Amino acid sequence: MIVAERKPLEEIIGFIKDYKKILLVGCNECVTVCYAGGKKEVAILASALKMAFLKEEKELEVKEVTLERQCDQEYLEEIRSIVDQYEAIVSMACGVGVQFMAEKYQTMPVYPALNTLFMGGAEEMGVWAERCQGCGQCVLGQTAGICPITRCAKRLLNGPCGGSTKGHCEINKDVPCAWQLIIDRLKALGKLDDYDNLMPIKDWSAERSGGPRKIVREDLRQ
Amino acid sequence: MEKGKTGAVVVVGGGIGGIQASLDLADSGFYVYLVEKDSSIGGKMSQLDKTFPTNDCSMCIMSPKLVECGKNLNIEILTLSEIKAVTGEEGNFQVLLKQKPRYIDLNKCIACGTCTEKCPRKVPDDYNAGLTMRKSAYIRYPQAVPLKYLIDPERCLYFESGKCRVCERFCPADAVDFTQKEKEITLQAGAIVLATGFKPYDPGANDTYNYKKFPNVVTSLEFERILSATGPYQGSLLRPSDRKKPRKIAWVQCVGSRNVHFGDRGYCSGVCCTYAVKQSMVAKEHSDIELDTAVFYIDIRTYGKDFEKFYNRSRDEMHVRYIKSRVSTILPGDQEGDLKIRYVDENGRVVHEDFNMVVLSVGLDIPEESVELAKNLGVDLNHYNFVETGYFNPVETSRPGVFVCGVFQGPKDIPETVTQASAAAAGAASILSEAKFTLTKEKEYPQEIDVVGQEPRIGVFICHCGTNIAGVVNVPDVTTYASELPNVVIAEENLFTCSQDTQVRIKERIKEHHLNRVVVASCSTRTHESLFQDTVREAGLNPYLFSMANIRDQDSWVHQHDKEGATEKAKDLVRMAVARAATLRPLSRQRLPVIKRVLILGGGVAGMTAALNISRQGYEVVLVEAEKELGGMARKIHRTLSGDDVQAYIDDLIEKVTHDDKIQVLKEALLADFSGSKGNFKTMLNVGPAMYHREVTHGALIVATGAKEYVPTEYLYGQNESVKTQVELEDILLKEREVAKRWQNIVMIQCVGSRNAENPNCSRVCCQQAIKNALALKELNPENNIYILYRDIRTYGFAEDYYRKARELGVHFMRFKEHEEPKVEQVDGRIQVSFRDLTLMRDVTILPEQLILSAGMVAGETQELAGILKAPLTKDRFFLEAHVKLRPVDTQSDGIFICGTAHSPKRIDETISQAMAASSRACGLLAKNYIEVGGIVARVDPELCAACLICVRACPYEVPFINADGVSEIDISKCHGCGICAAECPAKAITLYHFEDAQILAQVDGLMEAV
Repeated sequence: MIVAERKPLEEIIGFIKDYKKILLVGCNECVTVCYAGGKKEVAILASALKMAFLKEEKELEVKEVTLERQCDQEYLEEIRSIVDQYEAIVSMACGVGVQFMAEKYQTMPVYPALNTLFMGGAEEMGVWAERCQGCGQCVLGQTAGICPITRCAKRLLNGPCGGSTKGHCEINKDVPCAWQLIIDRLKALGKLDDYDNLMPIKDWSAERSGGPRKIVREDLRQ
Repeated sequence: MEKGKTGAVVVVGGGIGGIQASLDLADSGFYVYLVEKDSSIGGKMSQLDKTFPTNDCSMCIMSPKLVECGKNLNIEILTLSEIKAVTGEEGNFQVLLKQKPRYIDLNKCIACGTCTEKCPRKVPDDYNAGLTMRKSAYIRYPQAVPLKYLIDPERCLYFESGKCRVCERFCPADAVDFTQKEKEITLQAGAIVLATGFKPYDPGANDTYNYKKFPNVVTSLEFERILSATGPYQGSLLRPSDRKKPRKIAWVQCVGSRNVHFGDRGYCSGVCCTYAVKQSMVAKEHSDIELDTAVFYIDIRTYGKDFEKFYNRSRDEMHVRYIKSRVSTILPGDQEGDLKIRYVDENGRVVHEDFNMVVLSVGLDIPEESVELAKNLGVDLNHYNFVETGYFNPVETSRPGVFVCGVFQGPKDIPETVTQASAAAAGAASILSEAKFTLTKEKEYPQEIDVVGQEPRIGVFICHCGTNIAGVVNVPDVTTYASELPNVVIAEENLFTCSQDTQVRIKERIKEHHLNRVVVASCSTRTHESLFQDTVREAGLNPYLFSMANIRDQDSWVHQHDKEGATEKAKDLVRMAVARAATLRPLSRQRLPVIKRVLILGGGVAGMTAALNISRQGYEVVLVEAEKELGGMARKIHRTLSGDDVQAYIDDLIEKVTHDDKIQVLKEALLADFSGSKGNFKTMLNVGPAMYHREVTHGALIVATGAKEYVPTEYLYGQNESVKTQVELEDILLKEREVAKRWQNIVMIQCVGSRNAENPNCSRVCCQQAIKNALALKELNPENNIYILYRDIRTYGFAEDYYRKARELGVHFMRFKEHEEPKVEQVDGRIQVSFRDLTLMRDVTILPEQLILSAGMVAGETQELAGILKAPLTKDRFFLEAHVKLRPVDTQSDGIFICGTAHSPKRIDETISQAMAASSRACGLLAKNYIEVGGIVARVDPELCAACLICVRACPYEVPFINADGVSEIDISKCHGCGICAAECPAKAITLYHFEDAQILAQVDGLMEAV
């Protein structure tokens, strides 16, 4: 899932301080699951904004809506009939949702309420961690299911660097060394021999360095 | 029904034991006559201020049980009644009662208190231990059940002089009736349970401590009343002579106990040490000035579950002084009213110390009437006038069909009494099994009124709680205020809203005013919500159309010094409750069938005892044992302290269990999975030796997995052959008598692996074990020297007789202190024990042939099991009961019960009581044909659910799961209604019924109206 967290309240207030009526839109997908932009967070932010305005002796009308997904046109369509009644939209979706919203409602100012951080998962209740950087050429088949692109600070492909100490990365002692994890798991799987197979130079053009990416499936396209 | 047994039981004594036995029996399908000699039930527990070891308010935890008893259709309370004769036999007794007149008609009295107010005659109030006066027309205490006044004919002006009758004139209900006469009543019953309890030992009889002479020498029960908010000084800690605040209070232990002198009792009363610990702590908490408390003791006997920690806390954190010295007399002090105690201190010096007050920790005594009753019934008593019971049949008296529980069977505390009460109920239920439900009545609620679509019509009832609320909050003012709130049709005040007559009144008001919502402003939902819900249900309203405001615990109690503020707060709380009530909607409940089978984990004494009793009550049992054979830990014990043959008993149990066609025994079986809810559990077992899977469905579960003996790591155990544990010694005493006979010098060390930093609790049995083995050694060879090195000898109850006997036979008891344990060394292959003798004030070295360690009892490997069952453990990994006083064998998870050493260290007879208690509780559940589920549960809206798993992870009972449709689902039969999932759900897909957002917001808006 895409993991995000809410922006500081002050920053969001900065976006909307001159408005009196806003539409606050949550998303019932990834950001609900990571506790950043679901129906409950929408209600909390709406209350917080209204209180902040009241403290300044201003009034703010907030319409709370949570859509199934903001990254699909059809769901965004659901608010068309009410959009006109508001001066601005604040989206609690990830960056994708915010942009789709802005594209859909060309004349409306659209502001993000979240900082979109990474693709990851919940390690435990309340802890989310990054697991994928979308490099476009997955190497997990060679690395015992542990991603060196995401989890190694240097994105090394052929073993650890000299900064690996007692299984930890030199950037932070709480970060495990990805290559230590890979080697340990290869060992456990009895596939340590795979470690000897050198990985060729990676084609980074499949990654974001090659510019914005797009998939076109002619078979599905209508 | 070969003889046509009677499906009714007479329970004698309405204290906490009688109440529990009655409730259990009624649950199990029997009609109960609860016979009480006093004017109301409640017994001694109703007089206590706080209870150990949690310092919970005694009345607060007890009153729901009183009310439950009073409301139960199958419990008939007969007050002012005593048994005169019993004829017939087990299964069919005729019980003749004499009932004294109350002089007030039970059916007419509205408990308004006018008779008390108008009565001109004042007499000492025995409820307050004679420390205050009451009127001749009175009720025993405000929460009394039945809450009906009475006239004390012994001390009434009309009965004395033929004039007065003021009460009759003023009674608005025309309830006073001076023509009432003593009645004889004959009851038909299949069994009798004796629960007559105790009376506090009277220290005035041989007045050693000048109790009669000095007003500031009080008994512990008097001190309870002094501490109590309903006591003579309204809870202020004052001494009787001059009502001054004491700065120094002493407790003198063992008054009337552990003493064979004239008028005293040779047994240990068992409870006085722990109540002195409690009182000394509570006194410090109550006192608004610096208070010094000192306890003079012989041995501190805090042997109950977690009691040692309680004692440690009083000493280390509350700085209660404990002085080991038996006080012989109390003299006047230097200042007026003070008292002088002369004692010998730690260093052997004689000290004179003055105290402002002295509390005598009086023991538990058997009242004369109980002795008389036993005689009338033909029930044998022991040499101390307690009911004689066999070691292995702790609730059976010498007369078949007559059972006993509580202190009449032997000194014990509240949880042990409650446990034994359930056990006695199980005993009675097992002999009357075929007569279950032949005489019981079933409660029928009226057809529910459909309120959907109606405008809210709210009735508000505001409680004075005696002076608890009204002493601080201006209740009339709050009532007027409430009557003007939106949707409120009627608002009225009551002296005690929880009293039975108020329930009648609430029902009348619902009918008269067509109320469709009810609000009570009183105490806590925790203790009283279910009572009021039942009341509105009896009037045809759905029980969830009720809302409560806590203006006592959360208002009058915490704002005692700000009456105006408290009144305003009460208005706020009432306004919130009214706002909430308007939004409430009826919730439906479903009925689920109950599986009439119990699964028992553990095939030791506890498990087998429970299994047999459940089978006798007519239900199936699956008994699961992890080992190859049944028997458990007791297999290592040969004899009890009183000389009973444990192995013969276990062989007999195994024989009965394996030949009982209702009991299926699974050996070498392990729990693999457990699911379901009370009435409907499903357990997966792996059964050995082939480890095949077996699925068992059952309505209840009993955990009887036992404990284990601590394996010492200290005192050279395992390194020198001469160092043994008591269990190992016992084996030698049986099998190698000749070897043991030759031993000249034997040292025993107590508290090995107990009462230390790693295991702070007392293992309860080791002192008795040591004395049992010491007596056996003395019998083999009277010339030997036995040295028992101890910290406190804890031979509670009748075990004290054996301690005395051991001393008489010349066993040396030598005390050591914590952190000054004896030193054990090996010198040339021989064991050498050195310690400082605290009586001789000298270092002593002994070279014994045998060193016996009294190794304690520690919990078994319970963590995994507790995890699977979701039943909580104590810090020491024993299973935790739902309430340490009043629900001692229930767990927090409904339908799961505990007994035996899985609960805490205990003796075999205590284990048997507890196993029967667990059986009683389980059978009470199984007796029902269905259980109701629903009401306050969480529900998922699948349209909103994002399947995020947060509810699945957050639920402490592991109820939500992602269903085949890919959304979260909550099984209402398992949901506890805690609301955590609803609070956590990021999609707001989960609603907790009765606590819906709209309802909570209405409450909050109600509060904010005033801002």
